[in-house]
Amino acid sequence: MLHLLEYWAARLALFGVDLLPPPAAARWAAGLGSLWWTADRPRRRVAISNILRAGLAGDARQARAIGRGAASNMGMVLVESMKSSLVLDDPERLRVDIPGDVAAVLEDPDRGLIVVSGHFGNWEIAGQWLSRYKPVAGISRPMNNPRVQELALGRRQRRAFRMIPKYDPDPGRFLKLLGDGEILALLVDQHARQGIDVPFFGHPAKTHTTAAMLHLVARTPLTFAVCRRTAPMTFELSLSPLIEQQRSGDRNADAEAILRTLNSLLEEAIRRDPDQYLWGHRRWR
Amino acid sequence: MDADGTSEVLSRLRDVLRESAVEEHDWDAVASETPIESLGFDSLTILDVLYDVEEEFGIALDPKQVVKTRTVGEIIALLQQNGA
Repeated sequence: MLHLLEYWAARLALFGVDLLPPPAAARWAAGLGSLWWTADRPRRRVAISNILRAGLAGDARQARAIGRGAASNMGMVLVESMKSSLVLDDPERLRVDIPGDVAAVLEDPDRGLIVVSGHFGNWEIAGQWLSRYKPVAGISRPMNNPRVQELALGRRQRRAFRMIPKYDPDPGRFLKLLGDGEILALLVDQHARQGIDVPFFGHPAKTHTTAAMLHLVARTPLTFAVCRRTAPMTFELSLSPLIEQQRSGDRNADAEAILRTLNSLLEEAIRRDPDQYLWGHRRWR
Repeated sequence: MDADGTSEVLSRLRDVLRESAVEEHDWDAVASETPIESLGFDSLTILDVLYDVEEEFGIALDPKQVVKTRTVGEIIALLQQNGA
């Protein structure tokens, strides 16, 4: 029943998106996100608890304000991802900052690149923009609601950006695509049952090691991306200088060192714009 | 004892697999002809194993060569080509 409600809510959102010009459509989606915040009590409680635990609000009232803003922003992510060509081809709507060492990798067709980000701003815009250089594969977990997933996947504009499943019987698939000079895009801020504990806002959070281990084993360059929204349908995309970790012989220590760096870069972005982060996920379990 | 040291490399490889792998497996039964896909690794766990194999043998493997291997014997050959 809940899945059906979500599906029709998504259909309603898409109706507005199709009817309105893009900036108005983004505001429409933001309004629906805010409405969802009011309706989805369990997720709202998780978000408020997370914001307080991260130390980004002094009290529950402040946390609610941040959470509502974040819900509006997540509504906008949906619209922006479907209307991304308006952003990707307009330098007024997408300002990009790429360090020289990362640009050198992007421009070399033989070199793969690992691009890490979190559920901040609009991570999909980042992946789609990078696909102008080389094919981008993003690892995804299926949505809980298959009806909404089918709807969303059918509408997104992806260019050379494709989604690949998190689990696959081919153990060499990540090594293959990086060896072919492609970009592997990963989000590191989801709870990882089999991951390792890494501090996130000062509290240990189970974190996926894939990005770190690929850097250590495939020796593929690694960077962190932040795609920050400055206005509806308008962004600043910045990539960090290449993150490098020498191997010490202690696998977990090496992976943890990389993941600490990645988490601190994500924290930095969130502290600046806490209402652009997806707080409704149980990050600390 | 074989002249080219394959048995010793296989034995050390079994030890690394026993230590690194998350899944239960009869590692003593692993032989040169064992298909890699039967060892139960996925795209995440294989990275841990590769790190530990490289550390054990003190070598760096080319990932492009690693993904072409289909059997444990081919991995052993790759290790030996790289000085193991």
